[in-house]
Amino acid sequence: MMEPAGPMIHFQNVSKEYENLTALHDITFSVGRGEMVFLTGPSGSGKTTLLKLIYLAELPDHGSITISGWDTTTLREASIPFIRRNIGVVFQDFRLLDNRNVFENVSLALRIRGVGEREVKSRVADALKTVNLRHKADSYPRRLSGGEQQRVVIARAIVAEPTVLLADEPTGNLDPDTAEGVLRTFKDIHAKGTTILVATHNRDLYRNSGKRVLRLDAGSLLGGEVC
Amino acid sequence: MTAPYAFKLALQSLRKDKWINLLSMLTIFAGLFIISLSYLVFYNVEAATRNLPEKFSLVVYLEDNLPREKIDDVIASVKTRREVGSVTYISKEEAFRELKATLKNSQYVLEGIDDNPLPDSIEVKLRKEAMGSESVRKLAEAAKKIRGVSEVDYGEKFLSTLHDIKNGMRIVGIILAAILSTGIVFVCYSTVKILFYRRNDEIETFKLLGATKGFIRAPFLIEGAAIGTSGGITSLVALYLLQHLVIFRMAVAVPVFRTLLFPADFFLSLPLIGMFLGISGAAIALGRLKY
Ligand SMILES: Nc1ncnc2c1ncn2[C@@H]1O[C@H](COP(=O)(O)OP(=O)(O)OP(=O)(O)O)[C@@H](O)[C@H]1O
Ligand SMILES: [Mg+2]
Repeated sequence: MMEPAGPMIHFQNVSKEYENLTALHDITFSVGRGEMVFLTGPSGSGKTTLLKLIYLAELPDHGSITISGWDTTTLREASIPFIRRNIGVVFQDFRLLDNRNVFENVSLALRIRGVGEREVKSRVADALKTVNLRHKADSYPRRLSGGEQQRVVIARAIVAEPTVLLADEPTGNLDPDTAEGVLRTFKDIHAKGTTILVATHNRDLYRNSGKRVLRLDAGSLLGGEVC
Repeated sequence: MTAPYAFKLALQSLRKDKWINLLSMLTIFAGLFIISLSYLVFYNVEAATRNLPEKFSLVVYLEDNLPREKIDDVIASVKTRREVGSVTYISKEEAFRELKATLKNSQYVLEGIDDNPLPDSIEVKLRKEAMGSESVRKLAEAAKKIRGVSEVDYGEKFLSTLHDIKNGMRIVGIILAAILSTGIVFVCYSTVKILFYRRNDEIETFKLLGATKGFIRAPFLIEGAAIGTSGGITSLVALYLLQHLVIFRMAVAVPVFRTLLFPADFFLSLPLIGMFLGISGAAIALGRLKY
């Protein structure tokens, strides 16, 4: 799906309304290929909504969004799964399946792509190692701490090595040291060429990162200075 | 997607929601059992009456006082027809004697009848290969046209009544099968719908991870097929057991049951029909998945 030229993500005058609430208002920005960008703003400012527009869980009411040159507003329904396969998402609400253990949860990202059993085993093991959860492979999500669950979600988002990684408050449940570890993981992945967009309240994540920070406030974009 | 994983998901779901699945399997079993039982009855009636015309002979009545050579002519021209097996001449005297013998305890019926009122006749039996109510009717019509023949009697009323009964059974059977099949499809439809809603959260997650429609659909179709097929197999087993029970237990009292037949294609068709109905129900339930 990747076209070589142009930004990886581009929003052009995008607005999103929920019933009578404007969640996003006239948003225009781009994220370059291989860039790592932070998205911040107070609770309810529209960060999750913006990410949902990228992974096609929501459609904009106005404006257009292109992912790697593909206009998502004119996309055929049948191509949605294939766009999503290029996007790894750390969901704010985790979306772990309670009736499956950690290994199975992480492996789903590979199974839906039809990856064979042996490759699934080794890649899931690698991903769990990255988030320091290899010893929890057989545990069920409900038996894990909040921080452990969050790291399972991160493992699932990166296991298929997506082109784009969207992380929605990925350190919300983590102590500073573990959060630091997650950030290091993201930077490693970024170093391999992955485009990353991290939505967070956590100033420690982006302070002195040298990355661009987009600020949302009540659905409007305040600009994007480098921190 | 990898096919084994779809089977794994289907199996997981069959186990997880085993009561719902078992219940719909039993409903399908009941439906298919009734359909196949009525087919079995029809099949046996058909088999038992297929050769019935054989047991009927044509009786060709001759005109009064036909000279012997004319009678031989009639017999000869009846014999030229291919479907005719044997021909027996019964003179009016013979017929009268037989009648008297039959009525020996109620001779009074014949009181006052001195003249023999019966005509000469010939009894015509058909060959096995030419059996069937249609060929009997044709032969009767042809015989009627032979000179010297006054009337032909061949039990047409009985045969046509039988034909009507069988036709009626066939129509009732088809209607019954149509209603019950629709019911089975509906049961599979609602089962898969329920399962689908129960797993809505999971399906939503699958979709967000990039699962195609096929990936999401396949386990449900497999599940529908499994439910339908097992319903078909259980009805087959039940029917087979019932048939044996009837033969071994009831044949002693009612000998007719000894010859009860079991159509061999049931062994394949019942599971296949079950599978087809199960998949149809599941497919309708999934309809057009939205993203
Ligand atoms: N499905 C929805 N239906 C109606 N309103 C919604 C829906 N999702 C979000 N909203 C509203 O849209 C606004 C933006 O929500 P969003 O989840 O994008 O905020 P956020 O920046 O991610 O907040 P947080 O930092 O708390 O996660 C909020 O006012 C929220 O109540
Ligand atoms: Mg949010």
